[in-house]
Amino acid sequence: MFSLDVILDALIFSNMISLMAIGLTLTYQTLKVPNFAHGDLVTLGAYAVLFLYKTFNVNPYLALPLAFLIPAFFSLLTYLLIYKPLSDRGASIVVLMIASIAVEIILRNMLHIFADVMRNLQKTYYRSLILREKNILLGGFSIPPVAISSTLTTIFVASIIYLFLTKTKLGVAMRASIENPGLASVLGIDVNKVYSISWFIAGGLAGLAGLFLPYRMPADPEIGWGLLLKVFSASILGGLDNIFGAIAGGYIIGNVEYLGINLLSRPPINLSTSYRPALPLIAMILALLFVPKGITSINMRKIKKWLRRQ
Amino acid sequence: MRALVNILKYTVPILWILLLFIGTRDPISFFLSILAFYSIYLLLSISLNLEYGFTGIPNFGKVMFYAGGAFVTGALSSRLIAPFIGISWKYLEKFKTYNVIVSTQVSRFFMQRPDVGVSIFVLMLLLGVLIGAFLGLIASYPAIRLREDYLGITLIASGELLRIIARNYDPLIAGTYGVMVPDPFYWLSGISHEIFRVGVMMSIAASTWIIVELLIKSPFGRMIRAIRDNELAAEALGKDVVKVRMKVLMIGSSIAAIAGVLYAFYLGSVQPDDFMPIKSFIVWVMVILGGAGNNKGAALGALLYLSIDRTIITLKNYLLVPFDVNNLAYIIIGCLFILVLMYRPEGLIPEKSGESIIKLSPKLLSKVKKNYNKSL
Repeated sequence: MFSLDVILDALIFSNMISLMAIGLTLTYQTLKVPNFAHGDLVTLGAYAVLFLYKTFNVNPYLALPLAFLIPAFFSLLTYLLIYKPLSDRGASIVVLMIASIAVEIILRNMLHIFADVMRNLQKTYYRSLILREKNILLGGFSIPPVAISSTLTTIFVASIIYLFLTKTKLGVAMRASIENPGLASVLGIDVNKVYSISWFIAGGLAGLAGLFLPYRMPADPEIGWGLLLKVFSASILGGLDNIFGAIAGGYIIGNVEYLGINLLSRPPINLSTSYRPALPLIAMILALLFVPKGITSINMRKIKKWLRRQ
Repeated sequence: MRALVNILKYTVPILWILLLFIGTRDPISFFLSILAFYSIYLLLSISLNLEYGFTGIPNFGKVMFYAGGAFVTGALSSRLIAPFIGISWKYLEKFKTYNVIVSTQVSRFFMQRPDVGVSIFVLMLLLGVLIGAFLGLIASYPAIRLREDYLGITLIASGELLRIIARNYDPLIAGTYGVMVPDPFYWLSGISHEIFRVGVMMSIAASTWIIVELLIKSPFGRMIRAIRDNELAAEALGKDVVKVRMKVLMIGSSIAAIAGVLYAFYLGSVQPDDFMPIKSFIVWVMVILGGAGNNKGAALGALLYLSIDRTIITLKNYLLVPFDVNNLAYIIIGCLFILVLMYRPEGLIPEKSGESIIKLSPKLLSKVKKNYNKSL
C-alpha cells in the first residue's frame, strides 16, 4: 500500500515529533502553560549541530551532547528568568502564554541574525540546510541511517524517562510536585528545582529532535512555528498529562501527516501535497473538539460495551 | 508629577514620529502612510481589547479574522464587477495569471464611474463585516468550551489553516503570488487621492472607536466586564455568558475583518504570507503595552508599536550591519514586551478600577474605610 520510503519518512518524522512532544508535555505539566518557544528550541539544536559541522567538520552524531545541552540551557534560562518570576508575580496563564510567544520571537530572530552573520563570515549558505548521508543496506532494503538512529534514540529516551520517573527518587519527586506542588513542598521537595529539571530535559529533548531535523527537511530559522503546531497536535492528542500519551500522539500525528497526504493525493481525491501541513492541524482541532482530554482518556471498556450492544 | 507623566505618555510617541520626518524625502506621503497604518492597527487593537481587555477571551488568532477580511476583498473586489464591464471570460477563468490585468481594467472603469468604485468599497466593507462575524461565530464554538491554553492553540491553528488554504487553493486569491486589488478611488489623482483615501480609513477607525466606546459604557459593556471579573457571579445573576461571549467574538472579529479590508485596499494587493501568526502577536503587544481594558490604552499601544516599527524602517537605510535590521527590531520588541509584562503588567494606561455608579466624595470614602476597618 505504501512504499518503504514513505513509511520510513513517516517513522523518522514521528520519532522527531515524539521527542518534542515529550518535552512539551513535561513543561506543560509544570506551569500549566503551553510553551510556544518549543519549536524554536528544535531549530536551535539543529543550528548547533550545523554550526559544528560547517565550521569544524564534526560528524553530526558526535555533536549530540551539544545538541542536547545548548537548547536545554536556553530552556532552563527562560524558565528561571522569565516564566518563574512571572508566575511568582501571579501572572495568569494568558500572560505566561504571551510571554512564551515573545520568547519564541526573540529566539527565532536571534537565529536569523546568527544565520546572516555566519553566512557573511563563512561565505556559505546558512539557511535551508540539508544534511545528506548514504543509505545502508539492511536485509535487502536500503535504509537511511537516520531512520535507525532516530528510532533508537526515541526508544532510549522513552525508557530512560520511564525509569527516571518511576524508579528514582528525583523522578518520583517530580511526579509528586507536578501532581500537587503545595503538598510536595510541604513534604520537603524543592519544587523549583524539580521544575527547573523538567524545563532542562524538555529543552534537551527538543535539541535531540533538532539533530535529526536537517536529515529530513531543510533547517531554517523560520521552521519553528510549523513544527510547534505539529507538536501541539501530538501533545494534545496525548492528553498533555502523560508522557507516553505524548509519544503515542507523536506517532499518530507523524503517520497522519505523511501517510495521510500520501493517501489523499492518490487518484480519487487528488489533493495537492502542499496541503500536508494542514493535516495535523485538522487532526488537532478534531481531537480538541471530540476528545479534549486526549487519546489516553478514551475509555476502552465503554467502547467495547457499545460494540457488543451493536 | 503624575500629570507630567500623563502628558509625556502621549507626547513622546508623537514627537518620536515627528522626529522620523527628518529622515524622509517625502514628508507628506510619509505622514499619510503613518495615518493609514495607524487606523488599521487601531482597529485591530480595539477589537482585541474588546475581546481580551473587556471580556477576557484570549484571542490568539486575531490574524485569522484580519486575513478573512483581506481575502474576501482580494477574491471578490475585481471579480464582482469584471463580468459587467466586458472583461473577457478567458481572463477570469485564469485568474491566477491575469488578475493584474483584470484589476487594472476595473480600476480604469472606476475612473469613469466613481459611484461604482465607492459602492464596491462599501460593499466589501459590509462583506468583510459579514465574513468576520461568521468566522467569529465559528471561533466561538471552541472559545466557549475550551480552557484558555487550548483555545489559544486552536485559534492559532485555525489561522494557519486559513493561510495554508489561501496559499494552495488558487481560485481564492491566486495562491502564493497573491492577487491585485482594484483601487476604488482611482478617479482621484495625486495627493488628493491619498488624502481622501487615508481620510476615509481614519474616519472608519474613528467611528469604530466611538461605537466601541458607546458599547462599553452601555449596560452591555458593564455586563461583559462583570463576566470577565467573575463569570460565576454573572451567571448567577442570570446573564447568559455563552451568548455574550459569542456576541463579543462576532463584534471583535468583524472589526478585525474591517481592518483586513482596509489593508487590502490600501496596499492594492493581498498575499497569503502576509498573515503569519506573528501578526496576532503584534496586536497583543499593542494591547498589553498600552494597557488592556481601556480603549485609550489600545490607541496608545498602537501608536507606540507604529513608532517603533517606523523607526526601524527608517533606520534600515542608515544602519550598516551584516544582518536584517527587522530581526533586531523583533528582538527589541520581544524584550520590551517581557519587561512590561514583568514590571508593569497593567500597561502604560491602566484600566480605571472601581468605577462605581455612586461616586463618593473623598471625605465620605475615608469615613467608610474607617468604619470598615473598625468592624474588622
